[in-house]
Amino acid sequence: MRQLKDGIFSLNGRELALLAACTLAIIVFSVASPYFGTPGNAATILRNSVELLLVGLGMTLLLAMGGIDVSVGIVMGLAAICVGRALEANTDPVLTALVGPIIGALLGLVTAAVVVLGRIPAIVGTLGLLGIYRTAIFILLGGQWLSGLPTGLTVLLGTSLLGVPIAAFVIVLAYIAVWVALRRTPFGLHLLAIGNSEEKARLSGIPVAKVRFATFIISGALAGLAATFYVASYRNVEMTIGSTLALDAIAAVVLGGTSILGGKCSLVGTVLGVLLLRILQNGLLLMGVPSLWQPVVTGGLLIGVLSVEVLSARLPMSPLGWARR
Amino acid sequence: MNRVRNLQGPALVLSLLSLLWIIVILGLLALKPSALSVGTITTILQFSTILALVSLGQGMVILAGGAGIDLSVGGTVSLSAVLGMLVLKAGLSPFFLPFVCIGTGTALGAFNGVLVMKLRILPLIATLGTFFVYSGVALSLTGGSAQSGVPDWLLWWGRGVLAGIPVPFLTIAVPAFALAGIVLAWTSWGRWVYAMGFNERSARLVGVPVDRARLILYSLSGTLAGAAALFSLAWLGSGRPNIGQNLELESLTAAMLGGIAIFGGRGGVGGVFAAVMLLVTLKTGLLQLNVNTVWQVGIVGALLIFVLLADRFSQSWR
Repeated sequence: MRQLKDGIFSLNGRELALLAACTLAIIVFSVASPYFGTPGNAATILRNSVELLLVGLGMTLLLAMGGIDVSVGIVMGLAAICVGRALEANTDPVLTALVGPIIGALLGLVTAAVVVLGRIPAIVGTLGLLGIYRTAIFILLGGQWLSGLPTGLTVLLGTSLLGVPIAAFVIVLAYIAVWVALRRTPFGLHLLAIGNSEEKARLSGIPVAKVRFATFIISGALAGLAATFYVASYRNVEMTIGSTLALDAIAAVVLGGTSILGGKCSLVGTVLGVLLLRILQNGLLLMGVPSLWQPVVTGGLLIGVLSVEVLSARLPMSPLGWARR
Repeated sequence: MNRVRNLQGPALVLSLLSLLWIIVILGLLALKPSALSVGTITTILQFSTILALVSLGQGMVILAGGAGIDLSVGGTVSLSAVLGMLVLKAGLSPFFLPFVCIGTGTALGAFNGVLVMKLRILPLIATLGTFFVYSGVALSLTGGSAQSGVPDWLLWWGRGVLAGIPVPFLTIAVPAFALAGIVLAWTSWGRWVYAMGFNERSARLVGVPVDRARLILYSLSGTLAGAAALFSLAWLGSGRPNIGQNLELESLTAAMLGGIAIFGGRGGVGGVFAAVMLLVTLKTGLLQLNVNTVWQVGIVGALLIFVLLADRFSQSWR
């Protein structure tokens, strides 16, 4: 029950370790490269983290519930196409910004219908949907990229009145919204209960199907919001959009201390996991390491952190006890 | 206990797959009668070899339960192929190429096994990590370019056709499936695999060496991926760092479609073989009809959901 008492920004051992790793990485890269420690580069890192972070927050909820969604990257792709088409049609900017989350939520509803009503294991059901959505992207794009889209959403990339990048604003807002839903509402309590044991949750009268539906819809809406940011910054939609995003998100979320077994999650951990990945990728790129190595960093970090955690927990007088949860 | 043969796969799945396969073939013939030729069969079997080998390993890992899954198969194929060619370029005698490919695959698979069984990292996460590492290293080592220079005798094997059937299909894929089928159905090892997948606790209590068996199955999945890499070299004539792309999803689909339960303990290699044939026939048919192969992933995804729903509803009707 400790989880319920967690404050909005309180940290446990794993999260402190991640924070330390982020700080260390920032210090090392700042010393090693004159381009790393500039405000412009910090904004770039934040900018590059937005999509992964939004999708990651949704994935955290899903994993905490004992679910998973491997199609969420492609959902972002489909939403991005709709946002792009809306931009091309010169729709009102506010409406355009809403297109992404709405389409994402609708696709989340479809996912939920297949997984919850069809009673198919989430990983297999979303794998099937992944295939269908990929074909849908191909049909919608008709074999051509959407490129050179109008600049209607570029406003999202600027800075706010206080000089804070809007991307950072959105990250904080999304984080607070998800945190409140998870830690301060019955919905969050039910979600974690389902993650702990779906059978017990059902027996205690929790509306399991409703909560699972809601979680898939929230995750879809967050992916749709990510699509809005994607289109705003790249102003094109390519055929392979989002193809590795879901796996990247799972890696970042697990790195942050969320268990894929459900019932236990860390939203701060997800934010820190995403930031650590992006800082490492950005820093290594600035130091001249080809971007082809980026997946190796992601995978190596994932295996490394989990191995250290397991091994340190086995030592009787664990010198690495901080990594234990 | 049910007879093992009953566990080999729900009869419904097999008959559904066969029916779908016949529909695909009839559809192809109706749309393009000229497709009915020995050449088409050869092409289908050639295309199916990689997926068949990888899906067999994937299927066995899932069958053994413990939330077993191998997301790294595609990366293992790519890295084994690329390493084989790089070692060749570094001056090793081409004679050793098959050993390097299969050895690399086995080692990478064994590493997965150690992560899962010794370090107790959940299979989905451990193999997700190695998926990133293996495929990333394969791309980085080559800068993304194909490595040519496969020796002629290997090409002769890889492209050889005997009575309409590709030689590699006859010499690796068929024996691998036959052996796996025999082991699963008639040896104590096979019974152990079903037992630990069906109920791990009971299996442990009766003394089944669950950990060792699963470690071996992860290694075996790597070995089969290494064999698939060797075939890709011999067939395509070069080591492509992206040859394994999407294989994790395709092999998972084949295993699920073939009736292997995601929680383990149910299913058999016959179903996996049928599923692979169906998938590859579909892909080849679409190619023959000049339809973009992107359609294939959509159709396969729909099939996967359809088969699972059919299985689900047939259970609730019983």
